[in-house]
Amino acid sequence: MKRALLALFLSASAASHAAPIGFKDSWMLMADLAPSWRESSVNYAFTARDALGASGAWLRSDDKRVTREAVEVTYTRLAKRWNLPHAQANLWLFANAGTIRGNDFAGSRTLLSPGVQADYETTRVYLAATAKLLRAKDLNHDLASVRAGFSFHEADYDETQPWFVVEARRMRGLSGRTEVTPMLRLIHNRWFVEAGYSNMKQARFNLMYTY
Amino acid sequence: MKSKLTLLFATASLLGTGTAFAGETMKATVNGMVCAFCAQGIEKRLQKLPATKAVFVDLKQKIVAVEAKDGQKLDGKAITAEITDAGYDVVKLEPVAGTVADVRTAAKTGK
Repeated sequence: MKRALLALFLSASAASHAAPIGFKDSWMLMADLAPSWRESSVNYAFTARDALGASGAWLRSDDKRVTREAVEVTYTRLAKRWNLPHAQANLWLFANAGTIRGNDFAGSRTLLSPGVQADYETTRVYLAATAKLLRAKDLNHDLASVRAGFSFHEADYDETQPWFVVEARRMRGLSGRTEVTPMLRLIHNRWFVEAGYSNMKQARFNLMYTY
Repeated sequence: MKSKLTLLFATASLLGTGTAFAGETMKATVNGMVCAFCAQGIEKRLQKLPATKAVFVDLKQKIVAVEAKDGQKLDGKAITAEITDAGYDVVKLEPVAGTVADVRTAAKTGK
């Protein structure tokens, strides 16, 4: 259970949002909130393709006996973007590093979590696939997730656009189950909010703000 | 009579000023612009250009309209560069008649 929680948290920030960085000279704030984990992160896009940031998280197993605390420095790279007349496709690379602590082992361990994400988006359709390695001493919990969604209607920039998104994700050697979470996504101007409830009986709330 | 002439002169001057220094408007067709965050980034960057008076982004038609301040000219290369720096591709840039408000109205009404 604790390993599943760990992977769950580590997959959340990169996989749960439409694009993991904003635009050049923008700041992006993100939060993933659930009963068993609380994570927040921030990054700054110093070019249209590169962002540096930091993230922190607190995790707890369902039996409330095991907790994790992690801090990472994050680097996100837009490796390739295809700008199409009515769509956008992206290939993202992640290179995150930090430390992780737990109440079931002493001290902290170095955490490395490189990853890759491919996504395709129109004003009505969203598709994404993410793969990420999670490596620390005595930890190897690589993970993968896919997302698909559609918007109920097109919206202008100054209007709220509702989406229905489903995410499926699975972590090697962890829970052995694929977590499926249907979510309602609302996008309005600088705000991005998602709320859902998974087949693992976990409520999820994601928030993103760009400025 | 003197006051009427003064009023006539003042009115003519105001009208003349408005015509001579009305800001120009340019419209860009942009590929890849599909989300509110895309629009936000483009709008924010274009607003920072010194000649910019107003910006309008239309996600449905994939257009960006920029209106110049009165008496100033827009730099097409700078507009293209800012949109490109925001991460998108400008496939067409053209001057259009009217203001950003006119472009917005036309986009909303589908004309």
